Amino acid sequence: MNITLSQVIFYLIASTGLAGAITVVSTRDVMRLILGLGMFLASVALYYLYYGLGFLAVAELFLYVGGVLVMMVIAIMTVHRSAETEPILTNRHSVGAAVMSTMLFALLVFGLSGAVPVTTLGGQDPGIAALGDAFLGVFLAHLEIVGGFLFIGLVAVLAITGGERE
Amino acid sequence: MSIVVVCAALFSLGVYGVMVRRDVIGILASIEVMLGAATLQLVAFAMSSGVADGARTEAVGLVILALAATEAAIGLGLLVSVARRSGRGRLDEMAEVEG
Repeated sequence: MNITLSQVIFYLIASTGLAGAITVVSTRDVMRLILGLGMFLASVALYYLYYGLGFLAVAELFLYVGGVLVMMVIAIMTVHRSAETEPILTNRHSVGAAVMSTMLFALLVFGLSGAVPVTTLGGQDPGIAALGDAFLGVFLAHLEIVGGFLFIGLVAVLAITGGERE
Repeated sequence: MSIVVVCAALFSLGVYGVMVRRDVIGILASIEVMLGAATLQLVAFAMSSGVADGARTEAVGLVILALAATEAAIGLGLLVSVARRSGRGRLDEMAEVEG
């Protein structure tokens, strides 16, 4: 069996992502959960890089690892301070949930296998100019709608968190 | 092992996390795992099958990324708000919160 460099990289990224996801669903420590989520998100960014989408990989890292994870830490600190208790992560062991997840996994693999071919390392990076053309061309409406969603989200978060201030 | 198996495993792990977690942070993180897996599958499908070119795939990925960040911000805002009001961070206890 001949294993190429591309396959080794693929398996390394896959194992990192799976380890991060398993940490997210199983740990009871908040910081480990955030680190696991960071591992998972970093592996997704590496996969984007694997497929040759460098800008998307950098955006994923900046937006998620640099933004959402830090926001999560701040939210946990705020909750900890206001509740004066350690934010305890709890999970219930459910055989039904494990069975359902396994069945879903089998269904997804069975349904999608063959639809996505295995690619090799090093896709063609479209470049920032092509991305700009796409956003100001066929995706202009999408860009405007996402901007609207982001604005609505910002206002919603301000309304939700600032409403009950004494 | 193809990308389909990886994404299916990640998505199933996220679903499992949503079902077994009782705390809001854990459920939110599990939803992020599901969303990341689905986005990765979409990008992998687009890049592998040649349905769309790289720029369009990247644009769709960025749109999904922005929506996911908005969802995370609203979820964390709700968590902070409810925890401030009731001092609770567990979902089954939040069912008792009124107002």
